[in-house]
Amino acid sequence: MSRTGARLDAKKVNSELFTLTYGALVTQLLKDYENVEDVNKQLERMGYNMGIRLIEDFLARTGSGRCYDFRDTAEKIQSGFKIFLGITPTITNWSPAGDAFSLCFETNPLTEFVELPDHCLNLKYCNILTGVLRGACEMVQMEVASWFLQDQLKNDSVTEIRVKFVKRLEDAIPAGED
Amino acid sequence: MTVHNLYIFSRNCTLLYYAEWNRLNKSGMTKEEEAKLMYGMLFSIKSFINKISPLDPKDGFLHYKTSKYTLNYLETPSGLKFVLNTDNSAQNVRGLLQQLYSQIYVEYVIKNPLCQLNEPIQSELFKNKLDELVKSSPYF
Amino acid sequence: MKQQNVDTKTNLPDTGEADECLFEYLHAEMVNYVLSSKTNGKEGEEELSPLEWMGFGVGYRIMERLTREWARFKDELDTIKFICMDLWSSLYRKQIDNLRTNHQGVYVLHDNAFRLLTNIGAPDSTQYLREAPRLLAFTCGLLRGSLANLGIVSTVTAEIATLPSCKFHVQVQRV
Repeated sequence: MSRTGARLDAKKVNSELFTLTYGALVTQLLKDYENVEDVNKQLERMGYNMGIRLIEDFLARTGSGRCYDFRDTAEKIQSGFKIFLGITPTITNWSPAGDAFSLCFETNPLTEFVELPDHCLNLKYCNILTGVLRGACEMVQMEVASWFLQDQLKNDSVTEIRVKFVKRLEDAIPAGED
Repeated sequence: MTVHNLYIFSRNCTLLYYAEWNRLNKSGMTKEEEAKLMYGMLFSIKSFINKISPLDPKDGFLHYKTSKYTLNYLETPSGLKFVLNTDNSAQNVRGLLQQLYSQIYVEYVIKNPLCQLNEPIQSELFKNKLDELVKSSPYF
Repeated sequence: MKQQNVDTKTNLPDTGEADECLFEYLHAEMVNYVLSSKTNGKEGEEELSPLEWMGFGVGYRIMERLTREWARFKDELDTIKFICMDLWSSLYRKQIDNLRTNHQGVYVLHDNAFRLLTNIGAPDSTQYLREAPRLLAFTCGLLRGSLANLGIVSTVTAEIATLPSCKFHVQVQRV
């Protein structure tokens, strides 16, 4: 079949497929739950389930080893954003103890066509990202907590995710050993 | 050259998968007992190396060798453990283990939404692809 | 391991585009979500309509974005061909392998290796055949939605005989 006009850019269409699918999911969740807080929680849970798979994909692609320290972790998370979302967030606002940092970014494929309606101001539209971080880090023996400090969808100038180290998880010990 | 057998363990000590190609000697134990023994040995040898190594044990435990066979070990940062026994002439088995992880495990377990993680792998497609990869390796 | 891979990758400029694997992981989670929600507690048929609905919305909006840049389609067949070739290859990495029609509004789109099934089923096995329909409901909706955007009202169902191939049956509703 011959057509005049540009061929479709498969990478772009695929990215939009992801963006729109995510939008459809959020819409469905808003329909299913009465409380916006529950939607935020559900998005986080789904992110967690994605994170525990995405980390293997990330490790297989990059061949990276275990993190030396939390700064190393921050850089690996940054490269994960680059690989999967095509953006490079800046790593800033380190806590004095070096156990928390912020990821700041301006655009992000999740929110490409999104405007929050007024009744959804408590919705953390991108909350799936915090779940992904929790799931992915847990798989590499690290418990982290993360949350949104700023959100462009709520008219902040950037989106800022705070990531905090909670504790190192120990390897499972086989039964009968100590 | 020969590939003998393979164990894959999850980070929680579960035996996710076992396969064998040329295994002449059986342990005489059930698969579960054997897996437990193997996992326990890996655990001990790793902690032994970390404690006793006279040099920086950065790479940790990679393989051990007897006069007849080599046990090759790959642990991913996510705690998955791949154990492949080969004969002593096999070269760069680590490369094969990495392929096994990135081209077989990630493709046919991680990307199969019907496979639960941390449970023994049932997928026949995984099994076929794994078998293909091992048999096409130069040291099979 | 292959450290150089990531180096070349991080040196590229930011595209702001999601990697294609993300859709697959997200889709898998949506399937889990729909299956685990309350209405799916009972035995028997899986209730997949929320997936179909989400797919419909996505298909509708994708088409809206794509057809802005495209000339109008000649007729229904022309539209279906666009879906089988251009749309399918951008969304699912390959074209539909075979298109059949009775020229009375029934189209059968045959994909020999559908993207969402390729990592799942071995061709010589019946494993996962029972579960596979849940991985197609979203795409049935997506097809229906993209046609609806172009003014074609239809019903779409999927059929699987051997993985990873599948057929989508499009039945256009004539008014």
